[in-house]
Amino acid sequence: MSNMNTILVAIGGAVGAVSRYLIGQLIMQFRSQHNLPIAMLVVNLLGALGLGTFLSFYTPKEAITDSLYLMVSLGFFGAFTTFSTFSIEAMELMQKRQWKYFWTYVLVTVLGSILLFSASLIFIK
Amino acid sequence: MKPNINVIISIAMGAVIGTLLRYSVDLSFFDIYFPVNTILVNLIGSLVLGMITAYFTFKKPSEWLTAGLGIGVCGGFTTMSTLANDATMLIMNEDYFLFLCYILVSVIGGIGLTSLGYQRVWRWQSNQERSE
Repeated sequence: MSNMNTILVAIGGAVGAVSRYLIGQLIMQFRSQHNLPIAMLVVNLLGALGLGTFLSFYTPKEAITDSLYLMVSLGFFGAFTTFSTFSIEAMELMQKRQWKYFWTYVLVTVLGSILLFSASLIFIK
Repeated sequence: MKPNINVIISIAMGAVIGTLLRYSVDLSFFDIYFPVNTILVNLIGSLVLGMITAYFTFKKPSEWLTAGLGIGVCGGFTTMSTLANDATMLIMNEDYFLFLCYILVSVIGGIGLTSLGYQRVWRWQSNQERSE
């Protein structure tokens, strides 16, 4: 772990998480009454699309030592998107027995992220 | 929207910790084809956030602390974009069985461990409240 790469990953992560928070707050202003946890859904889809777009333009030679890759991919998009909040929100929909929203949230988040990532990777090139 | 500067600084600092922990897992754990490291961080992060969420429904700390630990540390530690990346690579290599295993273990494991952590801590806290 080189010192420079460590700092770049940390900066990417901090900017990514703060962006996730601010965009989440912005979405909640408009859709705060919605049953579906729309904020993190949109953030995760955006992050998957963004990472696919970045990787379609930039292919690192060796991922684990490439500074730009580490800062943008592992740092920024890694922290911009989140899995733990996804788990919590899915659990809360289960607890409320809102099965329709539960399945919609889980399927759209997971399959949507994969589809948007692969589509941006394939088609933007 | 009026973003609270203390909350934002706390999230940024938490994310530095979470992201560097994820980076160190990538560097030191499994260097194999199947994306075990992503599964590992996502499952551990889900368990911890479940525990924290239950704990904070009983003890109500200031907003910057919950945001720093939840949105910052756990949010920065876990990732959905790498999951999309890993899953796409497995599909492109036509490893459909590994793809299915990866998605099912991540999603069922993540929601299951979050629920487990949440329920255990919730029970522990409500027992404590009763005995006080």
